[in-house]
Amino acid sequence: MSRRRSTATDATLRYLPVLVAATAFALPLAWVVVTSLKKQSEFGSSLLPAAPQLANYQLALSLLDFMKFATNSLVLSSSYALIVVMVSALVGYGFARHRAPGRGRLFMLVLATLMVPNLVLFVPQFVIFAKLGLTNTYWPWILWALGGSPFAIFLFRQFFATFPRELDDAAEVDGAGPLRIFFQIYLPSAAPALAASAIFMFLWVWGDYLYPILLLNGDNTTLAVKMSSAYVDPRGNPLQTVTMAGVVLYVLPLIAFFAAANRFIVRGIVTTGLKG
Amino acid sequence: MEGVHRMTGAAQVLDRPVARVAPWRRRGLRRAVTFYLLISPWLIGFVLLAAIPLVMAFLMSLSNYDGLNLEYVQFVGLENYLRAFTDPDAQHALGRTLLLMAVVVPFSLALQLALALLVNQRIRFTSLFRTIFYLPYVIPVVAAAWVWKIFVDPTGGLLNALLGVAGAAVNVRWLVEYPTVVLALLTIWGAAGGGMVVFLAGLQGIPAEYREAAMIDGANRLQVTRHITLPLLSPVIFFNLVTGIIATLQILVQPMLLAPGILGLSPGTVPPRDNYLYAVHAYLEIFVKQLFGYGSALLWLLFGVVLALTLVLFKTSRRWVFYGIEP
Repeated sequence: MSRRRSTATDATLRYLPVLVAATAFALPLAWVVVTSLKKQSEFGSSLLPAAPQLANYQLALSLLDFMKFATNSLVLSSSYALIVVMVSALVGYGFARHRAPGRGRLFMLVLATLMVPNLVLFVPQFVIFAKLGLTNTYWPWILWALGGSPFAIFLFRQFFATFPRELDDAAEVDGAGPLRIFFQIYLPSAAPALAASAIFMFLWVWGDYLYPILLLNGDNTTLAVKMSSAYVDPRGNPLQTVTMAGVVLYVLPLIAFFAAANRFIVRGIVTTGLKG
Repeated sequence: MEGVHRMTGAAQVLDRPVARVAPWRRRGLRRAVTFYLLISPWLIGFVLLAAIPLVMAFLMSLSNYDGLNLEYVQFVGLENYLRAFTDPDAQHALGRTLLLMAVVVPFSLALQLALALLVNQRIRFTSLFRTIFYLPYVIPVVAAAWVWKIFVDPTGGLLNALLGVAGAAVNVRWLVEYPTVVLALLTIWGAAGGGMVVFLAGLQGIPAEYREAAMIDGANRLQVTRHITLPLLSPVIFFNLVTGIIATLQILVQPMLLAPGILGLSPGTVPPRDNYLYAVHAYLEIFVKQLFGYGSALLWLLFGVVLALTLVLFKTSRRWVFYGIEP
């Protein structure tokens, strides 16, 4: 009897804090969904919608050309992620597996750039992009991607450094060049690290607000910029409910994706050796 | 890591006597060329997108550049830097930023660690719990700002409704009266999942035997956490502390997105005075007032503060960060 009670208290002790925390974390998100289902007249007057208004979602898609800006975001984010991950993996492989004078110092330089606040670099970059006529195009993102990301380079360097030396030797004896070794041996075995960093790079562009608002305008801007202002009715009154429906549509693909990839991401971070 | 370094060190020592042989030297040269070719994308990117911009940013900070007219540019020496020290807005903004950091960083660390410990227990639905805690971290900043704007909305928000149920004041205009509270909540809520995952990776790197051995010796859960888990996690705590401080000092778009007003925002929205942070000040000086020179000086000073704080942390880390055991 007493043993049974102690397991019951034990279970409460185990579950209560995590349940409370999860509720606190999920509540603001749940409120967005609840609000997105209300009639505009119910906003501020009743706690829950009398009947779920799925029409808000149709309005969110049609009041602005949602799909066009979603496509812009998708194109920009995925091309950035794809290029930056490939380049960073290649550079990380170079740092991890090839020795040359100056390597150590150059790697310190990679890490040092991580310390520089983004805006310090961005302001002069902005001036350069403006002078070269690259504002209002996607070129800044492509150029950033082609130079690799210091963070991802660091991750891939750590990851590839753990590979056994015999691997390169065997491949070299077989006459494979460094690029072939990279593409045929290193890249395939780096799938979790590649996926994890690609996800983060994608997410960074998909969610970034600052650079698109400064570098793009009008039709080629991203969903993040479009979602930063509220939907309004024809008279200019804000439609909070439709705006929340838009926010859900903006975030939902990411949530579905992360819910599916949850375990994978944790493993990716472990294998890429973040814990140093 | 340690082992890898030692191994490469040994290999270098072994290579040296052979270096006199001509074929090796050719091979060494070829290896060096290969290395530089492999890292060339980064190296070119570094020169064009980091080194040159940094030099430009420094020169700009010594000038009156307005972002447009190169012909009016004048060298003004350290004037911009001196001005920053007498600019009341900059001082106010720095104070608010340091205050936010002092509140958010310790609280975030404790919460992230607590969440990691919670979801590292042997309980059911861990993957669901992890996902819930992690979600805010992957939610784009614009969406996160909306989440909190609606949650604390005076009439349509859940927070005031809950307070009303509890019998407290019901019409609090959070974004006007307590903007920093909302900003801190948004920051802590948004960062929790990222830190939690890093802590979780650290926790899972601690062999279970350590904890079990201490338990067998009669230690209770709290003692195990305090004397086994925390010291072994200290490198991870340090990592999250440093990244947390660097990130908090640079907070820029959140205060502007949280500015009260129902229509969302336009670039250059000035946040309420309480949320007028340092990076916001620099941003507005540069992109709204077009004071590229003065704004650049402000940003270099921010960089200086970031560097100084990081260096101090690294210095003190020797006393409390424990690198003794390879996980």
